[in-house]
Amino acid sequence: MNPTAMAVGVVLLIIILGACWYVSPTLGLTALIGIIIGGVLIGFGTHFVPVGGAPAAMGQAPGIATGVAMLAAGAGLAGLFGGAWAAEQGMVVAVVTGGIGGGLMMAITCMMVNFVYVYGMGIPAASGKVLHDPITGDSQAEYKSQGTEGHGLPFVSFVGGVIGGILGGAGGTLIYLELLGLYEATFPKMMGATAAQVMPVAVAIAGMFAVALFLVNAVLTAYNITGTIEGPHDPKFKRWPRAIVASAVASALCGFVAILIVAM
Amino acid sequence: MEHIVFGIGITALTGALATVAGSAEDTESNIGSQGDPNSQVQLAPQMGFLHRIFNKAVAGEPPAYGLWCALGAGLAWAFMAMQINAILAIVLGCVLAVFVQGVYATTAYLGRTASLAKFGQPVYVDIIKSMTTVTMAHAFIAIFCTVAICQLINGALGHPFPLPLLALIWGIALGAAGSATGNPYYGKERQYQNQKFGAGVPISASGNIVRYAEAGERNSIDNGFFTHKIGGSASGICFGLIVFLELWRTILFERIYAGWGAIAVGVLMILIFTVVDRYIEVWARKNYGPYTVPKEADA
Repeated sequence: MNPTAMAVGVVLLIIILGACWYVSPTLGLTALIGIIIGGVLIGFGTHFVPVGGAPAAMGQAPGIATGVAMLAAGAGLAGLFGGAWAAEQGMVVAVVTGGIGGGLMMAITCMMVNFVYVYGMGIPAASGKVLHDPITGDSQAEYKSQGTEGHGLPFVSFVGGVIGGILGGAGGTLIYLELLGLYEATFPKMMGATAAQVMPVAVAIAGMFAVALFLVNAVLTAYNITGTIEGPHDPKFKRWPRAIVASAVASALCGFVAILIVAM
Repeated sequence: MEHIVFGIGITALTGALATVAGSAEDTESNIGSQGDPNSQVQLAPQMGFLHRIFNKAVAGEPPAYGLWCALGAGLAWAFMAMQINAILAIVLGCVLAVFVQGVYATTAYLGRTASLAKFGQPVYVDIIKSMTTVTMAHAFIAIFCTVAICQLINGALGHPFPLPLLALIWGIALGAAGSATGNPYYGKERQYQNQKFGAGVPISASGNIVRYAEAGERNSIDNGFFTHKIGGSASGICFGLIVFLELWRTILFERIYAGWGAIAVGVLMILIFTVVDRYIEVWARKNYGPYTVPKEADA
């Protein structure tokens, strides 16, 4: 970890928060803090998602055979879909609903990945990074086929995927709700229309910014992971602190832009 | 009660459409060779194995399908605003989106294959002629079903997101589910059919993909025919379950305890899938056994 880079990140974060306080000290600043928390949840959650990339597609490495950002986005956005639907039921219910939506998407996907590996290809799950599964205690080394780093999704990777989906879905929903609240409060005066008239516009713009912020944080974390990760037991997981700072800064900057369209 | 019955009917229809979409998406990406296994199609000529496999990794499947579904939905939305019938509008929007997919497929094949010229890999014009249309046909099914799902969710179930945004979200989810479930079957089981069944591909074998069929050289339509039976079906079930269960728990249980009912059912379903996954994992360990003698026994 690079302490100087972390310090620079924290200073940037404070500067952006200060700028937001200057242009919109109440509504905007509250929304920005929510957006930063949501972005950090997405960034942290992406580290849990077991992604094997191209090697996993040939059964050469454990994980899901697709990209980090792609899978995290798929799960998180499925969560955002559910969370946005539950927005009328209050922030807590909506955020939890979004998290469960993302977790459910990942649970189904991870289960089907193991289904294809086991019943379609006759290959058992095996981790390449640990000798024993940290949750079940199952030995892994002898279940790796020759010349590979493992394959499929050991149980710890499955659990990691579900946790990643939950955090991503909750984070994405939180960003959406914060922006929706801000736009609902400011659009009627700005556009000279009633709250009901501006609602579709507020929902659409908040949704687009939420999707965009999700992709920003997922891609940023993919760079931190550098390709593939097996889940929370992978040594690369320990890199999460720097991703947290980077996600906070990126979310703050993007969120500030989303706030400026109503604050200026 | 009527509202719930109507919602369940729509949920069942969206689940069926999602199953077809997932299956078509995986088969399209395998015929076009778009997912992660395409790394081997790109690698093979560099290792001296020239082939006649399509090569169109435009982007990862999730952003590609996010784009095509959002495009189809956006155009359908515009047509509906012009008072065109919803079904016709969706068909027209998806046809136009598929043309964009076809352009991407053609330029991707030409560009990626031309970059392999120094390794002697030819650009086969007959492959473009015969296979691009097959990927476009499968892409149309996947995009149409996804946009239809989004129209049902937006129009009939009342989700607040506009149609193009819903299509972007579900397009990305479709690509994520399809690539996660279907890629290993295409990558390991089809491209490396010459390797041992029941084991991963040794890293040393990378690039040595199967290039010959029962008669003549293997092409990508053969790959689609082979993979749709398990990879395509599994992808369809995966995306179908995601869409169906997400809607089902919301429609039936969102009014119970002010939303907490749907959350509790979601948690329960996650636990059920966790148990099923663990069963599959243990079943494989018991029935297939280890590849090597455990280290403890060695000692």
